[in-house]
Amino acid sequence: MAKKKRMKDLTLLERIYLPEIAKGMALTFQNMFRPSFTMEYPEVKFEPPASYRGRPVLALEENGEERCVACGLCSRVCPALAIEVQAAETEREKERYPEKFEINMLRCIFCGFCEEVCPEEAIIMSKDYELAFSNREDAVYGKDKLLTPVSVLKDRIEFLRQYK
Amino acid sequence: MGILEIVIITMVKILIIVTIMLLTVSYLVYFERKISAWTQNRVGPNRVGYAGLLQPFADVFKLLLKEDIVPDVANKPIHTLAPILALIIAFGTYAVIPIGPSINLFGHEIAMVVADVNIGILYVLALTSIGVYAITFSGWSSGSKYSLLGGVRSSAQMISYEISMGFSIAGVLLFAESLRPLDIVASQSGFMWNALIQPIGFVTFVVSAFAETNRLPFDLPEAEPELVGGYHTEYSSMKFAAFFLAEYANMIIASALIVTLYLGGWQIPYIETLGLASWLTISLQVAGFFVKMGALLFFFIWVRWSLPRFRYDQLMNIGWKVMFPLSLINLIWAAILVMLLN
Amino acid sequence: MPKITIDNKELEFKPGQTIIQVAKDNGIEIPHFCWHPSLSVSGNCRVCLVEVEKMPKLVIACATIAADGMVVHTQSEKTISARNAVMEFILINHPLDCPICDEAGECKLQDYAYQHSVGESRFTETKQHKDKRVELGPHVMFDGERCISCSRCIRFCDEVAGENQLTFVKRGDKVTIVTFPGKQLDNPYSLNVTDICPVGALTNRDFRFKSRVWDMSSTKTICSGCSRGCNTDMWVRSNEVLRLTPRYNDNVNSYWMCDNGRLNTFKFVNEDSRVNGPHLRRDGKLTKVGWDEVFASAVSELKSFNKDEVAFIGSAYSTLEDNFLFAKFAKSVFGSKNFDFPRVTVPGSGDNILITEDKRPNSLGAELVGMSGNGMNFNQIIKGLIDGKIKALYVVDENLIELNPELEANIAKLDLLIVHASNFNTLTNYANIVFPSATYAEKNGTWINIEGRIQRLKPAVATFEADRSLDGMAMSRLDKFGTEYDRWGKVRKVDARSTWKIIVGLANAFGTKYKYTMAEEVFSDISKSIDEFKDLNYDSIGEFGTQLKFKKQIVKV
Repeated sequence: MAKKKRMKDLTLLERIYLPEIAKGMALTFQNMFRPSFTMEYPEVKFEPPASYRGRPVLALEENGEERCVACGLCSRVCPALAIEVQAAETEREKERYPEKFEINMLRCIFCGFCEEVCPEEAIIMSKDYELAFSNREDAVYGKDKLLTPVSVLKDRIEFLRQYK
Repeated sequence: MGILEIVIITMVKILIIVTIMLLTVSYLVYFERKISAWTQNRVGPNRVGYAGLLQPFADVFKLLLKEDIVPDVANKPIHTLAPILALIIAFGTYAVIPIGPSINLFGHEIAMVVADVNIGILYVLALTSIGVYAITFSGWSSGSKYSLLGGVRSSAQMISYEISMGFSIAGVLLFAESLRPLDIVASQSGFMWNALIQPIGFVTFVVSAFAETNRLPFDLPEAEPELVGGYHTEYSSMKFAAFFLAEYANMIIASALIVTLYLGGWQIPYIETLGLASWLTISLQVAGFFVKMGALLFFFIWVRWSLPRFRYDQLMNIGWKVMFPLSLINLIWAAILVMLLN
Repeated sequence: MPKITIDNKELEFKPGQTIIQVAKDNGIEIPHFCWHPSLSVSGNCRVCLVEVEKMPKLVIACATIAADGMVVHTQSEKTISARNAVMEFILINHPLDCPICDEAGECKLQDYAYQHSVGESRFTETKQHKDKRVELGPHVMFDGERCISCSRCIRFCDEVAGENQLTFVKRGDKVTIVTFPGKQLDNPYSLNVTDICPVGALTNRDFRFKSRVWDMSSTKTICSGCSRGCNTDMWVRSNEVLRLTPRYNDNVNSYWMCDNGRLNTFKFVNEDSRVNGPHLRRDGKLTKVGWDEVFASAVSELKSFNKDEVAFIGSAYSTLEDNFLFAKFAKSVFGSKNFDFPRVTVPGSGDNILITEDKRPNSLGAELVGMSGNGMNFNQIIKGLIDGKIKALYVVDENLIELNPELEANIAKLDLLIVHASNFNTLTNYANIVFPSATYAEKNGTWINIEGRIQRLKPAVATFEADRSLDGMAMSRLDKFGTEYDRWGKVRKVDARSTWKIIVGLANAFGTKYKYTMAEEVFSDISKSIDEFKDLNYDSIGEFGTQLKFKKQIVKV
């Protein structure tokens, strides 16, 4: 077998191994006295930055109207097929609204494509990362859980306008 | 002393030792997790009880409630026997390790060792060798390739390192001129610690002890990236807990053995010259034993969270080409020393 | 033949053809909004501008007659820039409401905006506002802002439907479409304007906002509304039929279909009244039972009657295969001569466009495969029913009570009534045994239309036994990637079978082994035993059907 070329051969001291081990152990020992980075979750909560992609939600205007017009682009672009939309007619100026809007949070992969494709700035990735459910049915979020006032989503909307 | 008394005293000793062992093992796991957290700038277990102190009990309780799964293709009797064997050996070895000098209690001279056997060291070596069977059995009987490979690796590793371990101990025996643990401790009075007299032997023994206990950097039998869980892949519930306990018990034995063989046992150099009351001296000496052992256990854990795992060929290289010759050199060195001192 | 060169390709053409027709025949696409192959040329959208050598200006391909030696460029720099300019003009007043618009996904303007537009508008002024949501007629909704004034709908009403109902009013950018005063867009073909509208200005009120077009699968099938047999596409989402659209077939329906066929021939497939699984009457109530049980029960019931006490009634709704096997069963397994099917014609209901008087899609087919026995004919069977001579009736896919409400009392008196029905109806109220019959949307088969053209039916809706992917059915994206845990994967599948398949089970229960497992095998038996179908199979019938050659004169129905 051809001898492998090394960038640099090890010195004798390094080959004895023990000094190197001592060095490494010294490093870990030092680390024992450094402060920890742990965030103790239920008591201390992570406040994500605006660029964070949490649970997708539907924006609800201050006057109580939803922005979504049920165009179905989010549903079409969703690589995980998590979104299901059923449109219906309304008397509002934008004559279409989602009669049913469901996101299956078991399927959602938080890629944010739905947010990117949305022509109405209606579906927005919120900062909510606390998603727990105990059965498949609960994992399907309907409009009742998705509609979120715009005021809560301000950060993200500003971020989107800046960078999208 | 009547037979009955001897039996009662021995039973009490066993009870004390087993209780101490179980408690220490539980908290060893706790400290393992805590120390790993500290080295990684984390917090570690802190939810169950104050600072997570009840965590070991929660763990045991959880394991107790788990379903005991035995693979269909497993050889069931051996599959069950393996963890029991591992545990018996782990606890059995402790019988011959003295934790302090003899004390006078209710008019009886009582040695602080369960069994004062005059071939104690041989007994230890014999039992640890049987320990290989526990792992080989579990690996073979599980009917899983991961378990089998873990078992094979473990037996090869243990046999390889037992040689350097044996030769290292031989150096100690030359000085003590006895296989009795109490004599070995006695031979290291003052600063005549074997660790200082024969440093090479000390290093080879410690390294071999790491290998024998399957601790990092020698934990190849259970190398997770390659072998899932190694020999205990197919174990769950209390059988898994038994292996887990045995591993940590082995660690304690290894530490105790190192203290006994190389660090002067329970002795604190020149404590007799201070002229303290005898009960205080003895208490201090027992405490000294545990402090030394604790320091070694900390060392075990500290190493685990600092060093990466060896590759299998590296492990064998070190065992046969480095440790074995070094232990031979140590033996010669010890022999020369003995000759010169006499 | 004269020759024309389009995009460096020398092409032959028939004198009188326009450039766009020559190009279309040869697979070269010239963009167009107002031009439609079946309508007159109006030439007002200007998007089909092409460069013709030796002509000073660009010409519109739809109105320029091809001439020998003409050299046309459809992809030259000049053409493309003109096309971009036209697109920009058209898009000036077109609202950007694709998200709301139902046409999105099958919109010509949307496609061309991607293909032939620069992608940005220089128009910063306010767009023209026009009337939205105008109900032009009972079925069609009009959005004035989306209209690009191509006039296709106006020309369709004038030229194809033959009723002048729509017109342009106002001028310039205020131009819009209205119905003539006092008129509505209510001709029987009105919904075709929603198909030919190149944008979303005209939409189907029945389908409005029901589904995005890309969520549905489409299956090439045949309309069941009358004996014309218009070729259609059946659009299905989550195993539910949502709409029918006409499919081009020059020999049958060109690009069109009637509103009745489009709106009223598929809704029963989705209804809750579907018969799901075989039913037996127990203690006066229809109870769902297993297939084996129902076959055994049907056999023992049928065997208790004299052969001339039982009559079998087929249907011109059923496929050739269904009728063929049903007749065969009645004749050779049960041994009765009393089998026929009702002819349902509504005199005066036809027109000379598409709608026919015969309201059944397969009358000719039922006749051809011998659904009429040489015993009692349909009228005699009905008479026998009234007289009490007929004690047991086996009816497939027809509701006798709906055809003749006076029969209700007589039917109630029958000793045995076996019915194949897709939906529970007034007839199943009296049935002793109900077999769940697959609808025309759920089965493979063939129909023969009034002109003697044999055409294929394909399943668009999956029944309980069917598997979309294994049975080669059309699949939407959701069908392909759905699992049983998804809401849209939990579709309703009715436990229904084609009549021929039920007959196979029944014949086997009678002790006569029929070995058919697919409709195709029944058809190959038909083609072997009946001259008119010689050498035909499902592949050779094809997408557009095959005209049959008749050796004997068929009784005109």
